[in-house]
Amino acid sequence: MMDKADFREILVILVKRWILIFLAIELVFFAVFGTNYLSLRNLQNILLTSTVVLLLATGQTFVIITGGIDLSVGFMVGFSGVICAKVMVSLQAAGISQSVAVSSGIAVALILGLLPGLINGLLVARLRVPPFIATFGMYGIAYGFAEIISNNVPIHNLPTLVSSIGHGYLIYWLPEKAFTFFKIPENLTRLELQNLVPIVPNVTVIAFIFVAIFAFILAKTRFGQHTYAIGGSVDAAERAGINVKRHLIKVYMISSFFASLAGVCYVLMFITGRAPAGSARLLDAVVAVVIGGASLYGGTGSIGGTIIGVLIIGVLQIGLVNLGVPTYNLYIAVGCILILAVLVDQFLPKLVHGKD
Amino acid sequence: MKRIVIGLLCVCLLLSFVAGVSAKKLKFAFMPGIADPFYFTMEKGAQAMADKLGVELIVGEFPKAWGPEYQVPILKALVARGDIDLLFTAPTSTEALIPVLKEIYDSGIPVITVDTYLKDGDYSKPSNYSFPLSYIGTDNFLGGQVVAGAMAVLLGGKGKVFLENTNPDVSSVMGRENGFRAGIEIFPEMELVGVEYCLDLQETAAAQVSAALQKDPDIAGVFGVNVFSAQGAYQAIASAGLVGAVKIATWDATQTLIEALRKGEIDLILAQMPAEMGALCVEWGYKHLTEGAEVPKKIIPGFFVFTKDNVNDADAQQYIYK
Repeated sequence: MMDKADFREILVILVKRWILIFLAIELVFFAVFGTNYLSLRNLQNILLTSTVVLLLATGQTFVIITGGIDLSVGFMVGFSGVICAKVMVSLQAAGISQSVAVSSGIAVALILGLLPGLINGLLVARLRVPPFIATFGMYGIAYGFAEIISNNVPIHNLPTLVSSIGHGYLIYWLPEKAFTFFKIPENLTRLELQNLVPIVPNVTVIAFIFVAIFAFILAKTRFGQHTYAIGGSVDAAERAGINVKRHLIKVYMISSFFASLAGVCYVLMFITGRAPAGSARLLDAVVAVVIGGASLYGGTGSIGGTIIGVLIIGVLQIGLVNLGVPTYNLYIAVGCILILAVLVDQFLPKLVHGKD
Repeated sequence: MKRIVIGLLCVCLLLSFVAGVSAKKLKFAFMPGIADPFYFTMEKGAQAMADKLGVELIVGEFPKAWGPEYQVPILKALVARGDIDLLFTAPTSTEALIPVLKEIYDSGIPVITVDTYLKDGDYSKPSNYSFPLSYIGTDNFLGGQVVAGAMAVLLGGKGKVFLENTNPDVSSVMGRENGFRAGIEIFPEMELVGVEYCLDLQETAAAQVSAALQKDPDIAGVFGVNVFSAQGAYQAIASAGLVGAVKIATWDATQTLIEALRKGEIDLILAQMPAEMGALCVEWGYKHLTEGAEVPKKIIPGFFVFTKDNVNDADAQQYIYK
């Protein structure tokens, strides 16, 4: 017979890992009831669909760990996307080569995208504006500028290179015949084209490189430790000699960098720059971070948890389409998971310490 | 425990058996552009034809807003099921959907674009967007001209008119705009004083028409290219106290717009034939897959023009979207 203490221990382990178990249950459910849900194509599709949310959520994780929040990222996607598209279109019109136009567009968008983060950071750290207000203000400002830059209409007619990057894959594999990187093998027949297996979308590769770098920074470096320390207690962090103000500015810049990168990925995937692009994804990003185990009071959270949070939403979203269930059910499901996440967060300590 | 495992295995076996049996039926996927009565009506038309021909129709979630970022994820998830024989869809961007649909076509699924098309919609000459089997939809340019002519009749052939459009990168509404421009030019005493884009937001349309009326108080007619722009135009005209003085023409015979026509809020509706479009997609797709029929690159169903005089006629009722 299992005694009570053992049972509690197992329960604690299960509850601690509940998001992983939840993700696994989702996958099994859709694998059984869906159609070809676990096919390579569909799994890649989940990753691709989740890219914007993943990038926003990664930046947001840093901010939330410091006890803040960054609402500006919703419209930062549109802001940087519109800049990116505008630069590409203008340079192409000026007769500059596609590769230069595309890389300049991306570079300008990523650099200018740091600016709103810098301003957010200065407002929060130096002028003590509550993060909610500072970044909410920036949310509107970024949107307004995006509309001005795009002249209130989506920017299109982008260089064709954009679509070959955004819709390209890292590897193309034709079983037993060809294996190429970045480019579809040449001179394929219609039948061979049908059997071609594209593996890992370029956009996913780009996103995961940056997510991995910053996951390392958060988990393994002093910068990461300081981020947790500030979230734990600003006073204690200051006493320990951390330059809290400068650190916070950097954290808000990381968040806006990821939002700009999301904007660039948006342009690559949809070949348009649209001002309201990522606004619908803001809430998903915050929810993913919280599901992933971060507390809005600061001090806890991890990129690994955030990735699982993002996948829980992505798997559900694609799964509902696969089953043919209207996706507004997604809002209900995500809302329930969010509340569950916070409840677990609250009652887990009690469970661990054995007080009923 | 053992019993549960065996039970689960049985369920799986049963499911795969069911899947195996139903696989013989042709499966068509329909990916609409946005959740609105036009596409709901198209779905009903397609479903009726699918039932008749014994085709299974799988309908993608209706996107809540217009644009590739809403449509593409649903579309990709839909075809990733891997059991679809043909796709017909209304691309929400003339540019952004080209690589997405090309990838689907390359994976072996024939594509028909319905209501909207890629680039200029001419799939008859070879190009990087000529892969769809066909464009089945309205000739929007012609429709724009029809509206211009009907508007001229309402206004006695003279006066200033204004155009409230939605998205400059959507083929269908730009066709309407260009047709309307060309149609108005035929009448020497008529002038198009402005064009605005409301991005499918009724509030924006209302604000833009209000501003236009401020600038040119003698505007005599407004053409709103879809339900949002027409109802926004009505709001603006009503709040300026000009109902009746400014004629409103619009596109698509939704229940809401037909009610508005009956109440005298708007004056003219050009109806497309969405149910017929949906049915044509299924019918031609079926003929193509079963008999190898050559599908015409462009298939254009006609129009019906509603005014206050014919809106209650018995034979006009079939053109109202339901």
